[in-house]
Amino acid sequence: MIPQQARSSNGKRMVFSETMYHNIIKILADLRSRLQAQLTIFADMNGYPIAYDQDVEDVDIIAMTALAAGTFAATAEMAKLVKEKERFRFIYHEGVNRNIYMCNVSKEYIMIILFDKSVAMGMVRILTHNTVEKLEKILEELAREHAKASQFLDVEFKSLLGKELDKYFGIK
Amino acid sequence: MYIDQLRQEIQFKIVYYGPGLGGKTTNLEYIYSQLDPSVRGELVSLKTKDERTLYFDFLQLKFGRINNKRPRFHLYTIPGQKHYGFSREIILRGADAVVFVADSQPARMKENLDTLADLEKKMIAQKQSLDKFPWVIQYNKRDLVNSMSIESMQASLNFLNVPWHQAVALNGKGVFETLRSVIDLIMVNA
Repeated sequence: MIPQQARSSNGKRMVFSETMYHNIIKILADLRSRLQAQLTIFADMNGYPIAYDQDVEDVDIIAMTALAAGTFAATAEMAKLVKEKERFRFIYHEGVNRNIYMCNVSKEYIMIILFDKSVAMGMVRILTHNTVEKLEKILEELAREHAKASQFLDVEFKSLLGKELDKYFGIK
Repeated sequence: MYIDQLRQEIQFKIVYYGPGLGGKTTNLEYIYSQLDPSVRGELVSLKTKDERTLYFDFLQLKFGRINNKRPRFHLYTIPGQKHYGFSREIILRGADAVVFVADSQPARMKENLDTLADLEKKMIAQKQSLDKFPWVIQYNKRDLVNSMSIESMQASLNFLNVPWHQAVALNGKGVFETLRSVIDLIMVNA
């Protein structure tokens, strides 16, 4: 998946160049391959998946990312309760067969990795740390500017959308 | 808003905000129950054992190509309880619009007012303000015999004269009208 625009927490829309996106996907694919992980997702703290690389089809990426963002919100609250000045850097869930590792990438993004129980946690931490550094370098280069949504949402689209919604919502 | 120009996909985030036990989750449950599975994802719900929303509920609506573009709506609810303040803040981040679900019972008016004040505070923290942001009010639980008059609720809550709807979310009355109205507002503001 290669989206091109996302809105940051302060309302500004982040515009990623195509090269940046391809670089991000390459980094995610590289991490997935080295860890033999099943899924790597780079997302924003709002719960939008920006890019991912996967070897599995049975995971709902959208719901997974929304839940990861919610989990980060909850653990940030825990960090405050124990007087931590910053958020916790990573969250780890260990299952019977699959594990999930999630970590911050700068202050506004997260990375989610789904992997098999056979992968050593130490390896995940080391390789993920390197990956986060690479992603943060890309984010440093990120050009911030307001994109014009009106170019995408033209009058015809808005009118047709209304009709489509009425059809599904049963509004006459 | 999130635009994927290569896939011609556009995603919007709508947050249902309001006091605890006001009917935010019920709105999403009704939408989920009524829509064809082809246009909605699974309802992801994180509840405590007494059925209160813990982090949030989440539902994705995904429509087919419209004028060659694919619209997606992500519906979130916030936890109504005050002590999840930071979770509320995170869920609100990046929202394109808000549905404020107010409880029509007189005893809940203070909670309505406090939660609306909390919403305004969180908006300001995100460098936004309610007078410029797309939001609508849903007066829920209109079927209760002791529900407050609409005039009285309007006077207390709708100081910015935003679109409003009466609803009984449990049986679906007003639920889709509210959603349609907030999507219209997003489109006007986009």
